[in-house]
Amino acid sequence: MPRDNNLTGKEQILSIINSLVDGLIGFDEEGKLFFINLAAQNLFGVKEEEVLGRPISDFSNFPKLRFLFYLLGEEIKEVSKKELKIEENLVLEVTSLPIFWKKGGKLVILRNITREKMIEKMKTEFITISAHQLRTPITGIKWALGVLLQEKLPENQKKLIQNCYSSIQRTTVLIDNLLNIVSIEEGKFLSKFTKTNLEKLIEETISSYREILTKKRIKLFFEKEEKIPKIKADPEKISLVFRNLLENAINYTPELGTIHISLKTQGEELVFSISDTGIGIPESQQKNVFQRFFRASNAVKVDPNGTGLGLFISKNIIEAHRGKIAFESKEGQGSTFYFSLPLK
Amino acid sequence: MKKQILIIEDEKFLSQLLVEGLKKEGLEVFTAIDWQEGSKILKEIKIDFIILDILLPGVDGVEILAQIKKDEELKSIPVLILSNLSQEDKIEECKKRGALDYLIKANYTIPEIIAKIKKYL
Repeated sequence: MPRDNNLTGKEQILSIINSLVDGLIGFDEEGKLFFINLAAQNLFGVKEEEVLGRPISDFSNFPKLRFLFYLLGEEIKEVSKKELKIEENLVLEVTSLPIFWKKGGKLVILRNITREKMIEKMKTEFITISAHQLRTPITGIKWALGVLLQEKLPENQKKLIQNCYSSIQRTTVLIDNLLNIVSIEEGKFLSKFTKTNLEKLIEETISSYREILTKKRIKLFFEKEEKIPKIKADPEKISLVFRNLLENAINYTPELGTIHISLKTQGEELVFSISDTGIGIPESQQKNVFQRFFRASNAVKVDPNGTGLGLFISKNIIEAHRGKIAFESKEGQGSTFYFSLPLK
Repeated sequence: MKKQILIIEDEKFLSQLLVEGLKKEGLEVFTAIDWQEGSKILKEIKIDFIILDILLPGVDGVEILAQIKKDEELKSIPVLILSNLSQEDKIEECKKRGALDYLIKANYTIPEIIAKIKKYL
């Protein structure tokens, strides 16, 4: 066995590459495999001599390697951190880049993320089970408070119970949101499309917020075009989006403010927008607005109890409808959120 | 004759509250904590409406629903699923098996649930 200081530079580098945990595969300019490190050999259960010099299309015959071929194709397209499930206990993250010293060649890097995926799965299962279990005592509290509220009580007690009731109500919404998030992450948050009258949904949403609009003396204007066509959408999920956007507008707009809602067609799309004269979103934080659990610092001051889940879920819903959602905002002046949905 | 309701729910606190609310509306209510008790009641008493939870000890609610809808004498009784489980696939399955509706307990008040029941009675 040659001693370390007798190894040539090439042998040293090769030995380093072969001790990497990540898999490395190199394809030359003709798309033929010219290099595969030990880790990649182990990941795919192949020996170097079985694959050396062969084009990627030959891999369709290998039980595990074929998935790499299906992902990258004959042209070995460039991908960045693409998840590839080989089997139940093997999930890889694939990155494919051009090799700068071999024109037309490609380097494929493979990272074993099976464990990370398993942990993610356990996390979502845990949240699902916990959320469902939390609902039972919450239901008990909610129903019992409901019964109490029907009794004749002194004003101060009634107020106390009403506040308890609001807290519990908020908790149920939070649990629903958590379960929606889990559903989104598992790719199970599917929409059931039917011909939907968006105008009606908006009006229903507005009327459910009538009380607080009056209480905060906020003026709300709803402008819509004469004829709004029905579009294919999931009414329950789109309602969620309307509720989220309207609730935000009301929440973050001080008393005597104004909210403008508009619904109109623009070319091949239906466009909904809602503007408020509220606290707005600080520019430095705008890029995080659609992130899970994100709450702008000025928003937290106004409502310390918000969950930061609403916009994340709304964006997910709009995108599942092949739409786009965006906003414009100026701190201290207000925000306008808008989304578009394809008419067909 | 008063309409007779059967509630199959294992959480005593919750079923107590439901029973009180339903009785106030002039309905006769019977309770069971599982299918063993529930099926006995169904054999002995003429039930007009069933409120069924999904997460139950022993036979689970979906299986109970299936058995009710398979039974010649019971299949015409409307069944309302009242559960805190909100998994889409369970909801779909219950609706497919003929449940009248599937309500998440935590998202409804007792008056709202009673209103739904009265609509079907």
